[in-house]
Amino acid sequence: MRETVITRDMVADPKTKYGNARASTRHFITQRLTGAINIAFLIFLLFVVVRLAGQDRPDMVAVLGNGWIGLPLAALLVVVAVHMRNGMRDVLEDYFAGSLYRLLMLLNTLFCILVAVAGVAALLKLVFWG
Amino acid sequence: MTVRSRPLSPHLQIYRWTITMTMSIVHRATGIANYAGMALLAIWLAAAAWGQEPLNLVNDIYGSWFGQLVLFAFTWSLIHHMLGGIRHFIWDFIIGMEPGQRETLAWANLVLSIVLTLLVWTVFVWMA
Repeated sequence: MRETVITRDMVADPKTKYGNARASTRHFITQRLTGAINIAFLIFLLFVVVRLAGQDRPDMVAVLGNGWIGLPLAALLVVVAVHMRNGMRDVLEDYFAGSLYRLLMLLNTLFCILVAVAGVAALLKLVFWG
Repeated sequence: MTVRSRPLSPHLQIYRWTITMTMSIVHRATGIANYAGMALLAIWLAAAAWGQEPLNLVNDIYGSWFGQLVLFAFTWSLIHHMLGGIRHFIWDFIIGMEPGQRETLAWANLVLSIVLTLLVWTVFVWMA
């Protein structure tokens, strides 16, 4: 959503439909959908962390290297990254505006991409190359 | 010239602190904490993919008392945010919005998050 500057007149006049109806609805639906999927992610993550916390590499490879565990976890990580970016946008929209908002939103996107790419790359490496 | 303190217009501090607003604030705070915490997961996975030495380093840091404290807080943060999300799903069906009901939901959110976190750590960490 690219923000428009909302003036008093726009707020006072119900005929001005400020904001982006499409993008805002998509934001809402995306957040609900990814949030519901994240419930599965949390249970899955719990299983993986409990099974592997503090373990050595052979154990990590044995569990995460199994495609039935590593690949779904990678897919869920991407969903989490989308949820993270969407949620952080809500926060940034509340407290920042203008070019500072756009800068922070850029950093937000970069961080989420970094987390997703690092996690997915690590999992793909474990699954396909051990 | 002396400067007298000027009267301020009332802001957040004039409102009675309620459990619903607290859980709303905590939902946002845990969301931000989870956001940062996901980096810990990515670092752990990357270290495992990299090799035994980086993994040893990460395991030492995460296994230290401070690392364990952070991971315990992260567990609570994730569970609280998930329960808060489920609360929002309930509200999406226009259920539980009446006075009393929403307070019950907010308290349930807090109590369940603590109970589940302690349960997870008791069963999987302290007794394992």
